[in-house]
Parts: sequence; C-alpha cells; structure tokens
Amino acid sequence: MIGQLLGHYRVAAKIGEGGMGVVYRAYDEVLHRDVALKVVKKDARLDASASQNLLREARASSSLAHPNICTIHEVGETDGELYIVMELVEGKSLRTISGDMSLPAESVLRYGVQIASALGRAHDRGIVHRDLKTANIVVTADGLVKVLDFGLAKQVGIGILEGPTQSLATIQDTSSISGTLPYMAPEILRGEAADYRSDLWALGVVLYESASGRLPFEGRTGFEISSAIMRELVKPLGPSVPLGLWAIIQRCLAKDPAQRYQRASEVQAALEAVQSAFIVSKDLPADRGGPRTTVLHGLRHAKVRKGDFLLLVGTIKGAFILRSNTQRGGWEVGGPYFHGHAVYAIAYDSRAGQHRIWASTQSIWGTLLRSSDDFGKSWTNPQEAAIRFPADAGISLKNIWQITLGPEDEPNVLYCGVEPAALFETRDAGETWSLIRSLFDHPHRPRWMPGNGGLALHTVVLDPGNKQRMYVAISSGGVYRTDDGGTTWTSQNRGIRAEFMPNRYPEFGQCVHKIAMHPARPERLFLQNHWGLYRSDDHADHWVDIANGVPSDFGFPIVVHPRNPDYVYVVPVESDQFRCACDGRLRVYRTRNAGASWEPLTRGLPQKGAYETVLRDAMTTDSFDSAGIYFGTRSGQLFGSLDEGKTWQTILEGLPAIVCVRSAFVEGAASGLKPTLSPQSRTLPQTRSRATSKSRRKRKS
Amino acid sequence: MTFHIPGALREYADGQNKLVIEHAPATLGDALSALWLLHPGLRDRIVTEQGQLREHVNIFIGDEDVRYTGGLMSPISSGSEISIVPAISGGS
Repeated sequence: MIGQLLGHYRVAAKIGEGGMGVVYRAYDEVLHRDVALKVVKKDARLDASASQNLLREARASSSLAHPNICTIHEVGETDGELYIVMELVEGKSLRTISGDMSLPAESVLRYGVQIASALGRAHDRGIVHRDLKTANIVVTADGLVKVLDFGLAKQVGIGILEGPTQSLATIQDTSSISGTLPYMAPEILRGEAADYRSDLWALGVVLYESASGRLPFEGRTGFEISSAIMRELVKPLGPSVPLGLWAIIQRCLAKDPAQRYQRASEVQAALEAVQSAFIVSKDLPADRGGPRTTVLHGLRHAKVRKGDFLLLVGTIKGAFILRSNTQRGGWEVGGPYFHGHAVYAIAYDSRAGQHRIWASTQSIWGTLLRSSDDFGKSWTNPQEAAIRFPADAGISLKNIWQITLGPEDEPNVLYCGVEPAALFETRDAGETWSLIRSLFDHPHRPRWMPGNGGLALHTVVLDPGNKQRMYVAISSGGVYRTDDGGTTWTSQNRGIRAEFMPNRYPEFGQCVHKIAMHPARPERLFLQNHWGLYRSDDHADHWVDIANGVPSDFGFPIVVHPRNPDYVYVVPVESDQFRCACDGRLRVYRTRNAGASWEPLTRGLPQKGAYETVLRDAMTTDSFDSAGIYFGTRSGQLFGSLDEGKTWQTILEGLPAIVCVRSAFVEGAASGLKPTLSPQSRTLPQTRSRATSKSRRKRKS
Repeated sequence: MTFHIPGALREYADGQNKLVIEHAPATLGDALSALWLLHPGLRDRIVTEQGQLREHVNIFIGDEDVRYTGGLMSPISSGSEISIVPAISGGS
C-alpha cells in the first residue's frame, strides 16, 4: 500500500490500525496537504447499500466544521478499496494518555468540555457518533481535543470486534448493534436505537475512564460487561475527583436516557461550571474530599475510662453520653452532641478491641451516620453521606432508624435500617455502604405503607448461631427473614394481626413496632405490634398472642432480659389514638414466663398524671448480673432500674424527647468488673435526687 | 455571582458566609455544581442524593424563591445573589 496512489492521495506511511481498518498518512496531490487516509477493511464492510450509507454519512459528517471534530474531507472508492480521507491529527489518543492511570481532574475537565462541545455540534446537525471512546479521541501536543470517526460506526459495524467485545455475538444479535461494548449505553444493549443520549452515556464512560484509569463497568466476558452496564451501579470515584465532576459523570451514566442530560451543551455547561470553580479553588487544601472530623469545644464531655458503664441517649435535638462505674450510682453527663439534630439510632461497637460509638443524625440538612472513637470528644463529619440511595432507586434517605453490629468475628460489618424502608450494609467499617437489593426489590415493597413514623425499616436482628439468618422489621410491612445470607427474604407474619386492614391476618403489611431475640435462644423472638404482643418459638414461622394481663397490648419497645430468655419488658400505652401510659400511670410490664402472665413494675415511677410515651428504641438493658433496665420518655425523662425492674430511679430529667437509649460497658480495665462475671451488685443508689441534681448541675455548667 | 451561606452550613464553607464565583454559569444547577466543587460538604446538605433541593431548604435568587422560577434550571447572571435559607417549617 505504501507509495500507492488512491484517488489523488499518495500513501506515505502506516500510522495506525483499528477495528475499521488501517490508517495511513497520505499526501493530497491536488491540494498539497498531508491527510489521514483510512482504508476500510473488507470484512468490516457490509454490502453495496452499506457502502452507500457510509458515503452519505461521511458526507454529512464532513459538514461538521468544528475545532474539536476531526474533519472528514472525502470518502472514495478506488479499485475496490473504500477509503476515508480525514484531517491529519498529530497527537495521542486519550486512551494512550490515560493508560491505566487517572488524569488530573483539571485535564479531565478541559478535555471533557471540548468533547461535549464536539458532540453538541454534531447533535445539532442530527449526527450521532455511536462509537465515542477514549481510543478515538486524540489530544494534540497543545491540548486540543479532536474527536474522530463521527457518524461512521453505524454504517460499518466497526468496533464490535475489538477487545473485550468479542463475545458479544454470543449474547445478542450484533446486526443491529454498533459501537464498543464497554461504552455502550443500556438502551443499545436492549436493542433500542441509539440516539444522541447514547453518546452522552459514552461521554460519561470516557470521563470516568479518564478520571480513574478504569472503566465504570467491567467484566471478564462480554456477558459480564453487558450485565454490569444494564444492572450495576457505577463504582464511586475516589476523593481526588471533584464532587462536581463526579455528579456530572453519574448523570451521564443514568441507566434511563430520560434521567441523563438531554443535550451535550448541558454537559458542556456543567463541566465549564466545575472548571471555573476549580480554577478558583485550586489553591485550597487538597484533602477536602475525605471525611472531616469535628472536634467539639466548649461542651462538657464525660471522662470515660476503661471499666466504666455508659448510657447513650439519643433525643430529637441531640445525643448525650452518661458515664458511671459498675455501681451505676451517679452519672456524669456529656453532650448535647449534634446540637439540634435528631439522633434516632446509636450503637456501641467494642468488637476487635475498639471503642466506637456510632450515631445517626437527622436534620433539615439531611441524615448522616457519624462515629466517635474518643467517647464524643470528636465525631466524624463526612462531607458526603455514605448511606445514600442509588440514582435508579429514585428515593432519598430520610432517616437512619437502626444501627446493628455484624457478627463478633466480622468487626467491619454493620447494618443500618433506614427510612424509606431499606437495609444498608457495610463490610469496611462504614467507609462504604450498599443497599441490600434483594430486600429493596422484594415484590411486597410497593405495598408497604408508611406508619405514623414514616415507612421505616427500624429493626435488624442477627441470629448469633446462624450467619445466614437475619430478621428485619418494617413499619408497616411486617417481619421479613432471610435464611441465605440476604439473597432472598420471606415475610414472617403468621398469626400477627393488622387491626387497620380489612383482612386482619394478611401475609404482610403489619405495623410491627419492635422485635427482640434472646441470644441464647435464637429461635425465640418477641414482638410488640401496633396492637398485639407476640412470641415465636420457631424463628418467626408462627407467632402466638401473649398479651395476657397487660392493660393494653399497644406499645413500642420490647426488650428481653440479658440472660433469662423468659423475662421480657414492655411499656404499654393506651391506644393508637392516645399513645400515653394507661391511666396516667407509668408502668413497665414484665413477664417471667415468656408471656404467660405479666406483672406491673411501678416502684419509683410516677403513678399520677404521667402521660408518658416510651418509643421503640428508647428502652434497653445492661448485662450485669443483676440486670439494669433503662428507658427514656418522650417528655425527656430517663429512668433506670438496677434490680431487674423491681425499683426504679430517675437518672436524668429535662432532656429533649428521648428516642433511643443504649448501654455500653467499656471493657479493658485490668481490675474492672466485667458485667457478665461480676458478683451480684447489691449497692443501689441511695437517693435519686443526688444523681439527678449532680447531673443537672453539670449540664448547666 | 454570590452565594450567601446560612450559619448552620458555614463549617462546610471554611467559615465563610459569602462565596463569590467569578465565572457565572447559566443556570442555578450549574452554579451549585461549582459550589459543590469549592466546598464538597455543602452538596449533601442542600440537595438529596437524587439531586433535589431538600424539603426544608429554600434557595432564593435575589428575592425570588427558585421553586417558582424553574428550580435548578433557573437562569442566573453574573450579578446574581443566591441565598440558601433554611425554611421556617424546618425548625420543628
């Protein structure tokens, strides 16, 4: 071929080879200029009509005079060789420049603006590229981008034979598809026609690849790649990528074309906006992307030592940490943390020797999961919320209702139950969270209904003896269980009534308020329903009514004694219309026979005019030998019993409405008493006022 | 183009109550993209993960609530004063 004349072009040297054919440098002997000449491979060509289409399309593309589009001068055919004559662009392809490395954000933005500009011009002329990829974007020595091969893909069927696309033929008829698989939009894989929005998808892939050095959807085979494109969420880019750029990429990569940018000019404008801000912000410190920590000054902290016992209290206006020793007599109060934010979920994580407090915070500014490794002196304050619904879920996080630790031997695993009802999981100690799709895609989900507190997945219970089994409770959806590690979920509501439904015993849809398991007997669960108290002895397969002798079977919390699986505590309220302690008497009810009968526990609790409400997570136990029981009320009173409920003391008054109470023993003290090993604790606080007034004094200071 | 940042969010804007962006983008959405880049912590506090303005957060361009001027597509110009304001209803 070298030295030959094709038309009036003298072929000088081979400069490249692609799926479509071989590219040569050639000299235009008429216009006296260097050009690129692409000789179309015979096997890439279809029939005569396709050749005609190629000619027509190339002529249309040749009208695209734009600085970022490689101009097509001519398409010709000589001696059976079909060739395309183009502007000779000297530079490197974006793929070569990027390689497996990420490019600086500045470069990605600069190139992205030019590519979007080129697409904008083509789309305005009704021309879709159809095979945009880093391999056919060339960057010249002075940073000018040239997009190659506009409008050629469709006619020649190029690209599909390249690299990882080879097995595409095994999954789909290729006759209607053109392009390169890793850059193909989902609608193309579905066999729908490519339009200009498919180019914007490809642009998203190009930006992602340039910014990270890897493709957004990867796989070992064509089938895996197309599955990923169709179904998987794009993996987040690291903190070095500006969030503005990441947001643009995500929008380009929306599975539904209607959710993408609708015009290349919109992408261009968005990239330019990020670019102009980037120029302004270049001099700012580089670590702005990572989680931030807020160190709290001017706030009283509890001085926690090993061997201490803590109560962690979440309220609608912040969290408090109460410190005591194993005697649990006096309390030092730290807080309020997260001033003005509602804290519906708290957990203490001592797995693998850590001392981490987790808390969810909710306000008009959104919901975040935060943690502290120094008992509240500093808290993570992530720039970006780690728990978030993916774009295709179409819904946004309202609240985190539950933080549940994973198995003891998997200290990096945690679960969060959230509103709108969904379950999230982390396997890297909270760095990244993922939506549990199997539950989110459950066919029942569209028929779950919001209760008074919204549609929340508020309880997550793990089976300590079987890692494959887990229970969740949804209000209003009912109890769901997985026996296969979260692959499938079944509703487990047999025997639980739904007072508010025409069918009183539906398969699902119950408004369950709380479920509790005794770890020593994982087959046994207790359940406080929106009307109804239940027990199951067979992993929630069947439930029996155990409201034998309570003044009302309406209530929110239910807790099981830390050691005795027959002991259970509830706080009944009058009705769903009047969610206050029955008769104005604040009474905890306890069963000592797994629900065969219940007894009121009232000593030390107000018995007159006490229209109190105890919410679903506002009650807990400790694990000392003489178990402590603690609960907080919506009027901001915190009560505790150190003798399993026989007598109660006021621990703290005047808090905002309490929504969550958890206990924690800070292990690690050489001489400290471990709760489960400690002798019977006989020393009770002598007066309630001492603890209260001391605590309140501290809060004022 | 100037952003006015409410007190509750200043910790995510290096303590500033006013941010000036030299090159005014065409729409509010683009201006916010630029704001997120300058101060990434602001984004998740002002919009949801689906990119919608949070329920109890209002944005004004001048005196106009953007909910009535086209939302994130509201046009802005180089002199626009954009205020981010918590709604009164958000204080419950």
